[in-house]
Amino acid sequence: MDFNPCMKHQLIRKTVKEFAENEIRHRAAEMDQGPGFPQDLLEKMKPLHYFGLQTPTHLGGAGLDTISYAIVVEEISRVSAALGLCITVHNSVGIYPILRFGTREQQRQFVPPMAAGESIGAFCLTEANAGSDAGGVETVARKTDHGFVLNGTKIFVTNGGICGTILVFAVSDTDPSQSSVFIVENHTPGFSVGEIEDLCGMRANPVASLFFEDCAIPADHCLGKVGQGLKIGLTALDTGRIGIAAQALGIAQAAFEESVAYAKSRQQFKQPISRFQTIQNYLADMAVQIDASRLLLYRAAALKDKGRPFSAEAAMAKLHCSTTARMVTNLAVQIHGGYGYSKEYDVERYFRDAKVTEIYEGTSEIQRMVIARDILTRPV
Amino acid sequence: MLHVIVCIKQVPMVSELPWDPKTGTLKRETAQGMMDPSARRALEAALQIKADPASGPVRITAVSMGPPMAEEVLYEARALGADQGVLLTDPCMAGADTCMTAMILGTFIRNHCPDTGLILCGAMSSDSETAQVGPQLAEDLDIPAIGYARRLELADGGIRVERHVDDFLEVMEMDLPGLVTMDHADESDRYTPRYVALGGVEKAFAAGGIQVMDGAALGLDKEFNALRSSPTKIMDVYSPVTQKEGRVLTGAVKKMVDTLFDDYGKIISSAMGKDLKTHDHDEDI
Repeated sequence: MDFNPCMKHQLIRKTVKEFAENEIRHRAAEMDQGPGFPQDLLEKMKPLHYFGLQTPTHLGGAGLDTISYAIVVEEISRVSAALGLCITVHNSVGIYPILRFGTREQQRQFVPPMAAGESIGAFCLTEANAGSDAGGVETVARKTDHGFVLNGTKIFVTNGGICGTILVFAVSDTDPSQSSVFIVENHTPGFSVGEIEDLCGMRANPVASLFFEDCAIPADHCLGKVGQGLKIGLTALDTGRIGIAAQALGIAQAAFEESVAYAKSRQQFKQPISRFQTIQNYLADMAVQIDASRLLLYRAAALKDKGRPFSAEAAMAKLHCSTTARMVTNLAVQIHGGYGYSKEYDVERYFRDAKVTEIYEGTSEIQRMVIARDILTRPV
Repeated sequence: MLHVIVCIKQVPMVSELPWDPKTGTLKRETAQGMMDPSARRALEAALQIKADPASGPVRITAVSMGPPMAEEVLYEARALGADQGVLLTDPCMAGADTCMTAMILGTFIRNHCPDTGLILCGAMSSDSETAQVGPQLAEDLDIPAIGYARRLELADGGIRVERHVDDFLEVMEMDLPGLVTMDHADESDRYTPRYVALGGVEKAFAAGGIQVMDGAALGLDKEFNALRSSPTKIMDVYSPVTQKEGRVLTGAVKKMVDTLFDDYGKIISSAMGKDLKTHDHDEDI
């Protein structure tokens, strides 16, 4: 058992870190002020394959393995979790389902512009009455002679304000137990974007509601087969979990680094506060949880790369990384005291960004269900 | 086909420099390595020459002499667009000074790359700043060299090089084969290194291992020992200790001014560039 990353993964980390430190860090706080990402930053990221991480090279991507993918999301999220969110959602639940379930023609048509970053991906399942319970979805797909007509409203869609290619989870108008995933392009008549949500964290990401009003799409825009919706959704979320775990880990790592630096420099009672046992205990707890998170995350990623089952392991990673992010950012604010509560310090942003990692792409409660189901169905 | 050799040094990452305060030396074994920034500019120049259709076919070989871990910068060079990476590594090369480093690189180029047209180096590495390896390598190979280039252009079978010296712009032409060292960045820099594309990293590793050559493969003498053969011996490395102390003068103003002039007059005079003793105080009033 070797816990050291191989040279390729070390180089991937250095590569992303260099870009993130030079191009993103100084703009992250400003990006947090309003929705949307600076266009020039996105333009710089496009040719470097940030929008086609695991897309095969023949479709214009980088062809990375899952470990590399997790490293990229972790390092981008270490400086801007909202941008890390854009990248992970686009790559995992945006592109991946098309690669996994799409026909060759669907892959050829939709993936290259997405991998090039020209069309940003979104995946929408959540509705006013459906989230953890996908059975509550009310967006309806009506079969017509030419294809399908979609009607419904999706909420809290990550990348909603900038999406070009949208995967829509909808049920059949004749049989609500039959769900499918449809590929909708943002120029389709009947599609529109609602107001950008005013959220606690991840504020740079234009999370929005999406409306589908008699939105007619051709028959070949149904991803996979009719009725495969739940399977596609669950598979997408398994992969998405690795991304969100990586994002949460990046936030925790950032908060930890700021805390160590601050504890060493902040003087109280004529000594750095890092000399106090309470602060040392905080830092030790943070370090342990971050390390455990990292091991869980990269184990799940390695399993996926080996083609082995990884669903429960991804759920464990997502559960632990997001819990860690919330706990570490909380302690980071505590260590910073009043300054940590001020927007002048990045830990305030990390604190706000961390919470949602326990909610989206499967709440912590749902992760526990996935893990428990795996435990209880294992042969004894 | 123009064969460009880019000499690349792996240097410790400045941001994570582990320094042993007891011995005053760099803990190289725990230091993370990175491609020397000025070598990366040299590689960028090579990549731009290759990308220019006017250059015709160009082949880039990145070569490094260093410990086995230096392989990483050669993968990075391949990720950026070098066609080939070669690592020269052998315990007998350890402790090489600039002269022996140049000799080892020269042996590689002479014995294994006889078609070399252009050799590019960084002017000086970020960790030792000697600026010697490039010129010494040119001497070893008996080819012409130009140092501190700001701009390169292939011209009439040779190369045209611009460089800034003091306030002058020098434009020089040189026959190939020849060696050019790249100056550090200026404001209007055309050789700001590109970022590594993630797909490039994947491709660099998928393309197979870096070619590794030891002393025997290179054609070095069996008895060769770089440390013994190096004319430069490092006697000591330490961080200079500087003491900054303030001094507060007290008492009557005249007395304080007199003390200031008596004790620090010479320093102030030299800093101001004029002699304070001849300065007429009345002029200022």
